[in-house]
Amino acid sequence: MKLNIEGLLVYFPYDYIYPEQYSYMLELKRTLDAKGHGVLEMPSGTGKTISLLSLIVAYQRAFPLEVTKLIYCSRTVPEIEKVVEELRKLMEFYTKETGESNNFLALALSSRKNLCIHPEVSSLRFGKEVDGKCHSLTASYIRAQHHSNPNLPVCRFYEEFDSVGRQVPLPAGIYNLDDLKAFGRRKGWCPYYLARYSILHANIVVYSYHYLLDPKIADLVSKELAKKSVVVFDEAHNIDNVCIDSMSVNITRRTLDRCQNNVDTLQNTIHKIKETDAAKLREEYRRLVEGLKEANVARETDIYLANPVLPDEILQEAVPGSIRTAEHFVGFMRRFLEYLKSRLRVQHVVQESAPQFLKDIFDKVCIDRKPLRFCAERLQSLLRTLEIADIADFSAVTLISNFATLVSTYSQGFTIIIEPFEDRTPTIANPVLHFSCMDPSIAIKPVFQRFQSVVITSGTLSPLDIYPRILDFRPVTMASFTMTLARTCLCPLIVGRGNDQVALSSKFETREDFAVIRNYGNLLLEMSAIVPDGIVAFFTSYVYMENIVASWYEQGILENIQRNKLIFIETQDAAETSMALEKYQEACENGRGAILLSVARGKVSEGIDFVHHYGRAVLMFGVPYVYTQSRILKARLEYLRDQFQIRENDFLTFDAMRHAAQCVGRAIRGKTDYGLMIFADKRYARADKRGKLPRWIQEHINDGSLNLTVDEAVQLSKHFLRQMAQPFRQEDQLGLSLLTLEQLESEEMLQKITQIAHQT
Amino acid sequence: MDEEPERAKRWEGGYERTWEVLKEDESGSLKATVEEILYQSKRKRVIESHGQVRLGMMRHLYVVIDCSRSMEDQDLKPNRLTSTLKLMEAFVDEYFDQNPISQVGIITTKNKRAEKLTDLAVQMYCVCVCLCCFTASPGNPKKHITALMKAVDTVCVGEPSLYNSLNLAIQTLKHMPGHTSREILIILSSLTTCDPANIYELIKTLKSLKVRVSVIGLSAEVRVCTVLTRETGGSYHVILDESHFKELLMLHIKPPPASSSSECSLIRMGFPQHTIASVTDQDAKPSFSMSHLDSSSGPGLSLGGYFCPQCHATYTELPVECKVCGLTLVSAPHLARSFHHLFPLQAFIESPVENLQGDRFCQACQAELKDKSVFSCPSCHSVFCVECDLFIHESLHCCPCCIYRQTAP
Repeated sequence: MKLNIEGLLVYFPYDYIYPEQYSYMLELKRTLDAKGHGVLEMPSGTGKTISLLSLIVAYQRAFPLEVTKLIYCSRTVPEIEKVVEELRKLMEFYTKETGESNNFLALALSSRKNLCIHPEVSSLRFGKEVDGKCHSLTASYIRAQHHSNPNLPVCRFYEEFDSVGRQVPLPAGIYNLDDLKAFGRRKGWCPYYLARYSILHANIVVYSYHYLLDPKIADLVSKELAKKSVVVFDEAHNIDNVCIDSMSVNITRRTLDRCQNNVDTLQNTIHKIKETDAAKLREEYRRLVEGLKEANVARETDIYLANPVLPDEILQEAVPGSIRTAEHFVGFMRRFLEYLKSRLRVQHVVQESAPQFLKDIFDKVCIDRKPLRFCAERLQSLLRTLEIADIADFSAVTLISNFATLVSTYSQGFTIIIEPFEDRTPTIANPVLHFSCMDPSIAIKPVFQRFQSVVITSGTLSPLDIYPRILDFRPVTMASFTMTLARTCLCPLIVGRGNDQVALSSKFETREDFAVIRNYGNLLLEMSAIVPDGIVAFFTSYVYMENIVASWYEQGILENIQRNKLIFIETQDAAETSMALEKYQEACENGRGAILLSVARGKVSEGIDFVHHYGRAVLMFGVPYVYTQSRILKARLEYLRDQFQIRENDFLTFDAMRHAAQCVGRAIRGKTDYGLMIFADKRYARADKRGKLPRWIQEHINDGSLNLTVDEAVQLSKHFLRQMAQPFRQEDQLGLSLLTLEQLESEEMLQKITQIAHQT
Repeated sequence: MDEEPERAKRWEGGYERTWEVLKEDESGSLKATVEEILYQSKRKRVIESHGQVRLGMMRHLYVVIDCSRSMEDQDLKPNRLTSTLKLMEAFVDEYFDQNPISQVGIITTKNKRAEKLTDLAVQMYCVCVCLCCFTASPGNPKKHITALMKAVDTVCVGEPSLYNSLNLAIQTLKHMPGHTSREILIILSSLTTCDPANIYELIKTLKSLKVRVSVIGLSAEVRVCTVLTRETGGSYHVILDESHFKELLMLHIKPPPASSSSECSLIRMGFPQHTIASVTDQDAKPSFSMSHLDSSSGPGLSLGGYFCPQCHATYTELPVECKVCGLTLVSAPHLARSFHHLFPLQAFIESPVENLQGDRFCQACQAELKDKSVFSCPSCHSVFCVECDLFIHESLHCCPCCIYRQTAP
């Protein structure tokens, strides 16, 4: 259908539209009009992706000079593929409606592992191996050597692409990963490099977060993307953690050992090259004297996305003399390495700030701050000069040099924690140096600064106002949308008491309490008897789950549950978990029924959807607070308090509730779906917890379902499940939660739609 | 509906929140209640049934009753099993009343096994005290009913097995002739099933044998049943309460539309005359009723009865398949009783009450029309309320006003 969104003609590829989709598009358009950033929350399964795509594509067509590119960031490869499929549908609709083929180019980009078509390289199993092997076939000096010595292997796909591929742009169309590969095979071009090259002039790019947020990758891939782009972060409820992870460094003894090897290799190579080709090193030296001017020029003309690892000041200066020659630099790295080794020989936990660390390093081994800052850049230059092909081997030394640059660049926002052993195994020495980022805004700052509009969206972003604060940006729109429903298909219940009136809670004091564990078991048992097919139960941590399950086994509760359903357990082992998941789905499919015990923040709670019968009920045992004794977390909380005036408790609750919402949100993946959401902890009933749930869940929690006993919850669930099992057809939704164009244009409906968006 | 069913006493009912039923869309119509949707579908059912469709009048139905542990649940009073069996008795009665040339069999499943409670063919030869007039129930379901009454005392243990019960039903159904409609109705209380093999294979077999499987769930929607019914063209319903259960069960009394692919064949039928011979009549020769031969009870020897027009075997009741020559013996009223399924009463026209001129009274119950819409008969234009509309279509099968006009001058 064709929609008119405040004067903008939007083609929408479906015959029906949800009211909230219309409202979402309205808000999105306002964000684009204002050229600002937005935070939008809309429940999953209400067609967020297609609304985003339809509106932005329409906007691009209407104002080709205002918005030149859409960068759509998603989390996983399947999600990326899904987005491309939706886009394909949209484009087909355009072609059908307008009768002309439009010259839109949209493509997905993923790692070499997913795109490589070289027969040998693509058969490797790990991403790093593929990257390394690819590099050893395509690096510029390898190819130069190939000219003189044709026996040296190179990648023919890359050669082909390099010789002709750049002149001819990729023909317009929609390309997912497979399409790119097929195209590459047909032409004999490398799909990965083709995609990387093509994103520069593509209208829509779909790729993973990391290509934009991780400084190491962003520098390679995304730095030339146009300024007038719209960036969308989908499923962005964890974006702060992604930012932090991309900036943090963990160094163990093993890293240092490998780094030592790397440095030795470097030394040898330098030695060899000195005998054969001393001119090359001299050339590099000369270049370094001139400084990183080139990079500076590029940044000034604003072609590149700023790299947080390479701060502005460095670009003004030349590489300091002490690390300019190759040998000196290797010696410098050696010293730095020895210092780190000595630091790891601690017996107690050390926590210090970056300036403290720098002072200490100066006192002990006389390493100045300035050369440290150039470490990363200097190493890159050296690796280029030495023509080392397999970069994968040098990941350790790269990591250390990145660490050196970061620690000497940022005096704030980072902390250094050295732990001699893990908390769980205090007897085994396993020293780790955490260089942990506490400020997610550092990594994402270049994105907000560079791009015209950045939209952060997810099914669970409540409370909305905390994201602008921790990411340090100023949005023009913040809105939360509810789900309009023809029938109340979600049933959140807060179970606060057992049948014996014992308060249910996972809080620390009552964690070992026998009565609480028994009542939790009882709840699961009763639920297993009345909920059909699949139940997913989330615990707050693996340790807690192990304790409870062991205790249930002793009490015979597990045996009783198994009469009703099979039990599967998520473990930390990924292969085991995916096996369990597969069998779980099979059991649901065959009518045997199954329970999946898993952990909030685990793999299951984030990426796996339990549509329809795979998840008729989700139980959340306890409030999934993060492990508060962790020093990294404590440092971060302190930082948040000092810098952003966010109280520790507020942040912890926010974090716990967003994970709880993620977990329970697994059950409802659309309007025809239905599911129970059971929060088994009396603390959920408090206003401060409840108020942080997404609005679309909150509005279905009425006062009557706040502090239920197990029995009451069972009765309500039974009733709910029977009601939901009644036949439900599309006609029942029409006019209420599903609209045709005529219905949408009625005055009354437009009035109602304005109420869907909840501004904050 | 027709009569407000005997509801359980308030205090006997479960934990219910009556105030929530009242909470109907105060904010426009965002929260349409499920009841509203149910009402719509009820109306729809009446309208839907009025196409000229070929119906499978000769039905072979197996009813599978779940007797697993979950049947002891007391959300239906006194428990699910007793309540189900009670409704089943009524169902069997009504079934034979409406489908006189059909057959039924009952299977129970518990403890991962399935066993036959009564066999399919039983109805034809059942032992009964014959009432020799047409108005009485000819296909006497007594044997089923006694079996059902006995089943009340069974202990409900273990899990049911869908696979085993379907398999058991198939064993008999697949030998039934192609022109009959093969059906299985499952009353499932449990939410799990314990199967010895992949049930999806069995579903394929069912589909190829053209067996319709319908399910009535007593607790919630189970995925495998959804697939089972969807694939085999049956219906799947879940009960809300006892009265809804009854309603759903009674839906299965109507013969289903025959699939276009099923065979057509002409069936030879005999319409035997009932002869009553008095003892004083000299010509009368007492004879044994053929249907009593294989049974141990009941009076075997009688003077009168139905004589097969082909071989003159005697039967005390109809319908029956002649044991000697294999002719199907029925009486005309039997066929007539199935008549309304084939030529149903036309749907009444729904119109808003404002459009109505004159008195606002229902022609049938004489009550004032208070609802939003009224229903009028397309041939005589009489106006009815929604309750009477449903009653006329579901029970009477003819418009009272039309009948009145025909009989009155």
